[in-house]
Amino acid sequence: MLEIHDLRVAYGNKNILNGIDLSIRQGETLAVIGESGVGKTTLGLCIAGLVQGKVSGQVLFQGMDLLKLSEQDLNKMRWNRFSLVLQNVENVLNPVMTIIKQVTEPIVEHGIRKKKYAVEKAVEVLSRAGVPSSRYEAYPHQLSGGERQRAMIAMALANDPEFIILDEPTASLDTLTRLEILKLLREVGRDRALLVITHDISAAAKLGDNIAVLYGGKLLEKGPAKEILTAPCHPYTRGLLRSYPNMTTVKDLQGIKGRLEIPQKGCCFYPRCTQAVDICREEHPPIARKGECYLACHRGGIVPLLQLKDINVNYGPVAAVKGANIKVYEGETMAMVGESGSGKSSLAYSIMGITKSFSGSIYLDGSKVKKRSKEFFRRVQMVFQNPAESISHRHNVLQAVREPLDIQNLGCDGERKEKVRRALDEVQLSSDDEFLSQYPYHLSGGEVQRVAVARALILKPAVIVADEPTSALDASVQAKVLKLLMELQQNRGLGILFITHDIALARKISDRITVMQAGEIVEEGPAERLITRPGHSYTRALLEAAPDMDFIEQEQNGVDLRESSLSSCSFLAKN
Amino acid sequence: MKRHAVAVSNYITAFIIIISLNFLLPRLMPGNPLQAIYGEEALIAMTPELKAELISRFGLDKSLCEQFFNYLMNLCQGDLGYSYYYNAPVFEVILGALPWTILLVGAALVLSTTLGAVLGVEAGWRRGRAGDKVLLAGLMVLNGFPDFFIGMLLLLIFGVMLNILPLSGAVSPYANLTGVALLWDIFKHLLLPLSALTLAGITGSFLLTRNTMIGVLRSPFVLTARAKGLSPAAIRYRHAGRNSLLPVVTRAGVMAGRMATGVLFVEMVFSYPGLGHLVNTALTARDYPVLQGVFLVITVSVLTINLFTDILYTRLDPRVSYAY
Ligand SMILES: Nc1ncnc2c1ncn2[C@@H]1O[C@H](COP(=O)(O)OP(=O)(O)OP(=O)(O)O)[C@@H](O)[C@H]1O
Ligand code: SF4
Ligand SMILES: [Mg+2]
Repeated sequence: MLEIHDLRVAYGNKNILNGIDLSIRQGETLAVIGESGVGKTTLGLCIAGLVQGKVSGQVLFQGMDLLKLSEQDLNKMRWNRFSLVLQNVENVLNPVMTIIKQVTEPIVEHGIRKKKYAVEKAVEVLSRAGVPSSRYEAYPHQLSGGERQRAMIAMALANDPEFIILDEPTASLDTLTRLEILKLLREVGRDRALLVITHDISAAAKLGDNIAVLYGGKLLEKGPAKEILTAPCHPYTRGLLRSYPNMTTVKDLQGIKGRLEIPQKGCCFYPRCTQAVDICREEHPPIARKGECYLACHRGGIVPLLQLKDINVNYGPVAAVKGANIKVYEGETMAMVGESGSGKSSLAYSIMGITKSFSGSIYLDGSKVKKRSKEFFRRVQMVFQNPAESISHRHNVLQAVREPLDIQNLGCDGERKEKVRRALDEVQLSSDDEFLSQYPYHLSGGEVQRVAVARALILKPAVIVADEPTSALDASVQAKVLKLLMELQQNRGLGILFITHDIALARKISDRITVMQAGEIVEEGPAERLITRPGHSYTRALLEAAPDMDFIEQEQNGVDLRESSLSSCSFLAKN
Repeated sequence: MKRHAVAVSNYITAFIIIISLNFLLPRLMPGNPLQAIYGEEALIAMTPELKAELISRFGLDKSLCEQFFNYLMNLCQGDLGYSYYYNAPVFEVILGALPWTILLVGAALVLSTTLGAVLGVEAGWRRGRAGDKVLLAGLMVLNGFPDFFIGMLLLLIFGVMLNILPLSGAVSPYANLTGVALLWDIFKHLLLPLSALTLAGITGSFLLTRNTMIGVLRSPFVLTARAKGLSPAAIRYRHAGRNSLLPVVTRAGVMAGRMATGVLFVEMVFSYPGLGHLVNTALTARDYPVLQGVFLVITVSVLTINLFTDILYTRLDPRVSYAY
C-alpha cells in the first residue's frame, strides 16, 4: 500500500530525514517511535506532501509516487485516499469554525456528497469516534483534549480513506481517555492501514503490527512489534524502552546518555552509544536483516560481552555447576539468582579463573578466553561477597584501589593517585589524603564494599562480575551502590553479572534473570517475563519467598474489622 | 453577560466625557460670538442694550454651569440649539448635511476595510513574491499622501484634465433629476471623494491584514486545512483569511474615528455638502451651536460604530465571549 524509498528531507542545510525506507501493507499498522525532535512529525507530513523543505526519494502510494504529483493531483488524493490526524496542539482545528463544519468541509469540498448528506456523514463519523453529540456545534476551544482528539479522528475518517497517518494520537491525554482512544484506533485500523507516529511506546505496542525506530532522521531498527519490544537489538531501542515508565518492565528507569545531537558523519547514534567502535565514527551502518527484524548497526546490535558455554564445575565428586550457558550483553545486567549453595559463586570463580576445576569455554568480546591474561582482567573485574576477599587487610585504601593499576603497570604514580581519587569520587567516598591512608578495619562495612567497587572500576572494565556485592550492606547504602552501578551501566555500557539470592533486588536492576538450582540453570529470560510469568516451580518458590511490604495485620484481625465496619455503616443501621 | 455590562458602562463613560468636552471646547475658543455674527463694525455701532439683549438671548451671560445644564436639557429634547448664522435650528442644519457624510464615510469605511483585507489576504498568501512586493510598495507610497492631497490629485486628473466626473457638489444643481438618473448623478459625484477617502484608508487595513495573515498561515489549523486537500481559495479565505480578519474588524472602529476627520478635508476639497462642509462654514463664522452639534453627531457615530464592531467581533471569534 505504502512504500517509502530513500526518503530525505532537509530544511535549508539542516537534514531532518536521511534516507528512510518503509513499507506498510493493506490493513497493517506501523508505529514509528523515537524521541522528541528526531523527525517523526516531519515523516508524517512528508508523506502527505506538506513539508516546506527539500524532499527527495520516493513515496509510493499504491504504486503512485506522491512526491512527483502536482499540487492539484495531490489535493485530489488528500483526505480521499489518505488523511492525517495532526499532533493535537492548540489551534490544530480552526478556532472560528464549529466541529461539525470542519468535519463536513472535506466531504463537500471534494464533491463526495451534497452539503445536506455530508452533514449526515459527519454525524456518523463523529459518533463513531465517540464525540458526544452535544459537542458537534461547539468550537474547538470548548472541547477537552480528548474530545478534540476524537474530533480529529472523526475528521480523518470523513472521506473513508484507505490510509491514515496519526501524529502523537495519545499525547497529553489522561490514562483512561488514552485507553479509549487506543481502543478506537484499533477499531479504525482494522480495515485500513495506519501509520502511528508516537513517543508513547505503550501506544505503539497496543496499535502497531510493526514498529520502526527513528533517530537522527534514519531508521535504526524495524520489525514486528513483539520482537522490537521484547528483544530490542539496537542500543537506542533498548534505551527508549528502558526510559519509558510502564507496568510491564520491572527494572528501574534508565535513560540514554548524552543528549540528542546528530553528528555530521558516522552512525547517527554514536555520540550516545556505549558500544561504539572506530568505524561507527566514520560511516552510518546500512540497515540489514537480522532475524525477523531490520537493524542498522555495525556491530549487529547490542553485543554479547561475556559468554559462558557449557560450564561445569566439579569439586571432586560434587558437581557445583552443571552445564551453565550464560550471556552478558553490553550495557545490561544479567542477574543470577538461586538459594545459598546453588553454585552461583562457583560459576563466578570459574569466570575469573579462581577455580581451576571447571570445564567448558568462556568467550570475551566474541573470542575464546584461553588464559586469564592482564588483558582479560582489564576487561573483566570482580567484586566479592565479602570485601575482605577483594581487599587485603594490609593495604590502606590508596594501595587497595591502586593495585589493579600497579599490576597493569598503567601510568606514573601521580596519575595513578589521581585515578584512585576519581574512582573513589565515583562511588561517593571521600578522596582526601586522610581517607586514602585508612585501613579496611577502620572503615564501616558499606565503606569497605564501596572501596572494593572502586577498585573493580578503576580499570574501567567492560564487565563486572559481582557476587552478592551488597549483601553485607544495609538497605540505604545498598541502594546507593546499586544506583552507582546502574549509572555506570547507562553511561559506559557496563555489563554486569549480578549474583544474588535476592530476587526482589534482581527485579529492580536486571534486564535478564537466570535462576539456578543445585548447580543447574532451571530458567532464564527477560526480567519482566520471569517475574510476572515464572515458568519453573523453583522460580515461583523464590518469588513467593521474596520480601514484600504487604502487611498481614488485616488477615489476623479480619473478623473484627468487618464487624466494626458493619456496625458503623449507616445504610445497614437504617434498614 | 458580565462582559456586556463592562462594555456598556465603558461606552456610557466615554459618552459623558465627550458631551462635556463638546460643550466646553467651543466656549474656550478665542473671540466673541457676537462679533462673529454681526461683524466688527456692527458690534462697535451697537448700543449696549442691544448687546445685552443678544447676549441673554444666546445665554452667553449665564455661568458655565448654567449653560451646561441648559445644554443638557435641550439635548434631551433633541434640541441642539439655534444657529444664528443659518437662522435655523441646528438639528435641521445638520440633518441636511448628515446623509451625505454617512453615505461617503460609510461607503469609504466598508470599501477600504474590505479592499484592504482582501488585498492583505492575497499579499500575505504570496508573501515575498512579486505580487506581494508590488502591493506593499504601492500602498506604502499611497500611505504617504494625506487624504485631501489624494482628493486634489483625483480632482485634477478626472475632473479637470479628463473632465469625465463632476468637480464639486453631491448632485447637479437645478437639473431636477429623478429615479435612476438621480442615482447615477449621485454616484458620479460620490465617486471622487469616495475614492480619495478609500485610498487614504486602505493601507492601514491592508498592512494589518497582511501581517496577521502571515502569522495565521503558520498556525497548525492551516496545515490541517492543507492536509484536507482543500482548494487554495478555501484555505486562504475560509481558514486563514477569516482568522486574519479579527484584528481588522476591531480596527474598523478606530478607522471610523480617523475617517471622521479625513472626511472634513475631503468634503472641503470637493465642496461636498456634508458635515465637513458644514464644519468649515461654522468654523469661519464661529457658529458654536452648529459646531457643537456636528461634533456630537460625529463622536456619537464613532462610538456607535465601535460598539457595532465589538459585537461583530464576538460573532466572528467565538473565543472572545469565552475569554471574558
Ligand atoms: N519548518 C521547519 N523548518 C526548519 N526546521 C524544522 C521545521 N519543522 C521541523 N523542523 C526541525 O526538524 C526536526 C524534527 O522535527 P519534527 O517535528 O519532525 O520532530 P518530532 O520527532 O515530531 O518531535 P516531537 O516528538 O516533539 O513532535 C526538529 O529539529 C525541528 O526543529
Ligand atoms: S555500535 Fe556503532 S553502529 Fe551500532 S549503534 Fe553503536 S554507534 Fe551505531
Ligand atoms: Mg512531532
